[in-house]
Amino acid sequence: MVLKRTESSTVGDAGGETMESIECGAEVAKEFAFRDGYRNLNHGSFGTYPTAIRSVLRHYQDEAEAKPDKFIRYDYPKLLDESREAVANYLNAPVSTCVFIPNATTGLNTVLRNMVYEPGDVIIYFATIYGACEKTVDYITETTPAESRKIEYSYPVSDQFLCDAFEEAVTAIKAAGKVPKLAIFDTIASLPGVRMPFEALTALCHKHNVLSCIDGAHGIGHIPLDLTALDPDFFFSNCHKWLHVPRGCAVFYVPERNQGLLRSTLPTSHGFVPLPKGEGGFVNNPLPPSGKSAYITNFEFVGTIDNSPYLCIPAALEWRSKLTWKGMKGEEAVMAYTHQLSREAGKTVASVLGTEVMENEEGTLGNCNLSNVRLPLSFGDIADDDHRKAVKVAQWIAKTLVEEYNTFIAIIFYGGAWWVRLSSQVYLTAEDFEWGAGVLKELCARVSTGEWMR
Amino acid sequence: MANSIECGKEAAKHFAFAEGYRNLNHGSFGTFPTTIRDQLRHFQDQTEAKPDSFIRYAYPKLLDKSREVVAKYLNAPVETCVYIPNATTGINTVLRNLVYKQADVIIYFATIYGACEKSVSYITETTPAESYKIDSTKFTYPISDQRICQLFEEAIGSVKAAGKTPKLAIFDTIVSLPGVRMPFEALTALCKQHNVLSCIDAAHGIGHISLNLTTLDPDFFFSNCHKWLHVPRGCAVFYVPVRNQHLIRSTLPTSHGFAPLPIDGAGKVINNPMPPSGKSQYVSNFEYVGTLDGSPYICIPAALEWRSRLTWEGLRGEEAVMGYTRHLVVEAGKRVALRLGTEVLENEEGTLGKCNFANVLLPLKFSEIAGGDAGEAVRVAQWIAKVLVEEYETFIAIIVYADAWWVRLSGQVYLTVEDFVWGADVLREVCGRVVKGEWQQ
Repeated sequence: MVLKRTESSTVGDAGGETMESIECGAEVAKEFAFRDGYRNLNHGSFGTYPTAIRSVLRHYQDEAEAKPDKFIRYDYPKLLDESREAVANYLNAPVSTCVFIPNATTGLNTVLRNMVYEPGDVIIYFATIYGACEKTVDYITETTPAESRKIEYSYPVSDQFLCDAFEEAVTAIKAAGKVPKLAIFDTIASLPGVRMPFEALTALCHKHNVLSCIDGAHGIGHIPLDLTALDPDFFFSNCHKWLHVPRGCAVFYVPERNQGLLRSTLPTSHGFVPLPKGEGGFVNNPLPPSGKSAYITNFEFVGTIDNSPYLCIPAALEWRSKLTWKGMKGEEAVMAYTHQLSREAGKTVASVLGTEVMENEEGTLGNCNLSNVRLPLSFGDIADDDHRKAVKVAQWIAKTLVEEYNTFIAIIFYGGAWWVRLSSQVYLTAEDFEWGAGVLKELCARVSTGEWMR
Repeated sequence: MANSIECGKEAAKHFAFAEGYRNLNHGSFGTFPTTIRDQLRHFQDQTEAKPDSFIRYAYPKLLDKSREVVAKYLNAPVETCVYIPNATTGINTVLRNLVYKQADVIIYFATIYGACEKSVSYITETTPAESYKIDSTKFTYPISDQRICQLFEEAIGSVKAAGKTPKLAIFDTIVSLPGVRMPFEALTALCKQHNVLSCIDAAHGIGHISLNLTTLDPDFFFSNCHKWLHVPRGCAVFYVPVRNQHLIRSTLPTSHGFAPLPIDGAGKVINNPMPPSGKSQYVSNFEYVGTLDGSPYICIPAALEWRSRLTWEGLRGEEAVMGYTRHLVVEAGKRVALRLGTEVLENEEGTLGKCNFANVLLPLKFSEIAGGDAGEAVRVAQWIAKVLVEEYETFIAIIVYADAWWVRLSGQVYLTVEDFVWGADVLREVCGRVVKGEWQQ
């Protein structure tokens, strides 16, 4: 996988295969641009990328300013296709099914807003749906005939429980004479950060003839994915979260059988093909013609933005291929290292705090790079059982982490308790989480003295 | 104040074009000086230095500062201004939020930007709204401002006469292709008079011509800062007066800031992971709309500061920038038209060219070259564009309009008359090649 170069480029290493390897942990940490000893214990929210990828990003940005029209109209589409090929290959999906969009939120909106709903159509989703996605479902139920059904529950639960709850929801909807049209579920939920049995849920969707819409925001580069085996109806995943690609970049997968359902990009742009009317209207498209399908062409240019992040996929994959751990290399090393570090981090922090990691009996929730640890704070004592106060406590903790401890840890008030979500990464070590545990212990003590109220 | 920079050759040194590349088409994608590139990178570096710290806490303050600065620049209240990636998102945000009844009509002009027309089509396919296009059978440039206004009033009249409701009208400050100024102030006033919502596509607006949004008082307005304000892509300002903000319930895409209607009197509690903001719900809604690189939005103060250093003929800052670019492009149009033996697109009153564009006719006979076929004509235009890029190290926007080929020249602070004299020779040569039939091979 070779980075596209021009003569003026000074990007990264020389040529395709390189002998260089980078060991996960302290060695990899040198490749990142954190400052002042900042410890990023929350990679999961916004991701970040190594300086090698920053150079690639800037290379493309420089090319765009060197010859704007040439780059944007003529070079960019070819580079975009190379990137699409690389990501499709990585996900084991046909290239014709993969396009890029800025982020997962755009993915969900593109699906939900394009669907045509009849009265009685129901959108099913789980309690752990990402906030912006739930807001989007609300928007849809306000503005279209669609209704929604939320499957309520509190972690920890088993994968089987979730699958059963899903089938119950489908059955209940049908019994009410309605149509379970589409189901939204995550590969890995955001907060708390837990793996969902998305493969089984997708299979259940197939079985019950429900469209499966997978929010894989936490997906690509985080856990192995095979979209051909999985075969969802709609799938999107943020490359800027776990694939070491700059913001905003997400891959949007739609099998060809469903592409006809997505008539418009978000926003609608040049590539939209209006239904034929009586009088043929000629609408000027100022961009050069592309040789690809109408669907692919539609997503190629969706309003002017800096598209450079989309082009960084090949370089990111190449960089990751250099990573090593315990004799493993590349994706295997990255995922093995981060998964084991996540488990260890959870144990360490729970031990120091005297609490527990959120996990079910089968131990499936933590099969990812996130672990959730409960804080030793009593809802009643600290926040008088008032949910709004609890949120304020969480906000105070977050702000204090940033202002005084030069770190950030995601925190949520969930199921009557405060939980922190730890994100492991190739640039972190066990020591980072030992340190983090100490910080959290100190912060909880400060919360207990009522400092958050002042 | 920091060092002054004279428009022309001196300003050109501040840009990062490839050696020998002449950007005669600033209008499509804009560009920005290296000072602003450095500022952009500074913000990007700060983001990667401490991601959550910057994105959640530092960035919103920088965004507000930027909003304040742009609102002041446009003479608009700060609570009316938010940022979106581009004008296409602006038109989609307006059109998709509005609620349409049967017989609601969206009026627009034939010169609407392609992606905007596609958006209108999408709306008419998926909602009860219809559209009414003041089309090319009714007018072809050159045409007077007064005639445009007349056609507009006639359109409103036709819609009403048919028992329908002219709900919203879309028009440009400056049309994209051909690049001509529209009488948008008069059209906005007519909208008010006839109780039609005015939606101004000012993609070409901010930093290009003087704008005073308080005086203009449109219902919706959006303008690309990355086109003429020397700000990186994608960055557009979206102006909605407070009276209309309730019509824009959702951002595009919908995100954390959306406030669902209360159900059964009990509001839902949905986890919003972002820190609380002290601003209006409308403004907060646009603060975070899915993860993006928000750095371009916060480059506005630096861009305005850079522009304030520009000089020309004793003028300084915005006056110098606008004065120079206008003067340059008028001269450019004359020279190119002279060299090609053709003309600049202009009406009798001389109002079309009151902007940074000059549109010049190419000396190619439509019937001879393309056999009168619109599809073939477009192929000719595409060939010319490609050849300019591949062989001449330049780009000039070209359009097939009214059975002829026109080029749209963009003036800029980094260009001089010599650039356009050179461009004229290139166009002459390329037209010669078209006549020989090279485009068909």
